[in-house]
Amino acid sequence: MNAEEQGCQGCKAATTPKWRKDFPIEWEGADYVSRREMVKFLTLGSLLLVVANWATALASRFVHRGSQAERHIGSAASLDRFGSILFRYPTDEDPCIAVLTPEGKLVAYSQVCTHLSCAVVYDKAENGLFCPCHHGLFNLQGQPVAGPPTRSLARVQLERRGDQIFAIGKEAS
Amino acid sequence: MSLRRQGTTLFSAMLAFVASAVVLQLWLLTVSVEALLGGDYKTLTPAAAGSTALLLMNAGLLRYVFRFDRDVG
Repeated sequence: MNAEEQGCQGCKAATTPKWRKDFPIEWEGADYVSRREMVKFLTLGSLLLVVANWATALASRFVHRGSQAERHIGSAASLDRFGSILFRYPTDEDPCIAVLTPEGKLVAYSQVCTHLSCAVVYDKAENGLFCPCHHGLFNLQGQPVAGPPTRSLARVQLERRGDQIFAIGKEAS
Repeated sequence: MSLRRQGTTLFSAMLAFVASAVVLQLWLLTVSVEALLGGDYKTLTPAAAGSTALLLMNAGLLRYVFRFDRDVG
């Protein structure tokens, strides 16, 4: 670089102060520019939200949608004795509860409370399934009747074969 | 009022509209996640479609901004 070029650069630097290079927008035009930048930014955010929304919709196709597997859960004698029995269905990670209602009907539900996933237990006095964590209560149709839960418990279909009880299917929770 | 000043007013309104649409999309996403966890799958696709419609509106407005700038020069 020769001295003449260096001199010319020096001239430019002298005519354009550093703050002007850092802030090239006039006060009057500041709003004009920032609104455009904001609209661009929000539209990009809008695109990301659409992607997230479709990802949620797609995820529903891979979520556990119930089971049709068959599993032995216990005997009718133990259910008669205790009023309810705990079992795991369809996998060992899924706690469930079977209850013999006062009317003699056999029902079973996932033991996982739909509020914050505590385990519900059979409450004979309330004739329902009680969640001790936040005092949620479900009736024996699995519907929430008291406390914070708003969604029903997942129902497990049972089949009685003589003295033995089998779980034969589970609805999606 | 100059064209540039009119543009500033117009884009303020547009910005408010786009911001409202994004808030609505956020709400739709919240509802979708809640529905997914609750096993209510039938609401997911309409929510995603609604969110896409809002994106298209936002994109249309952004395109208008670019065209306006190009025309005004």
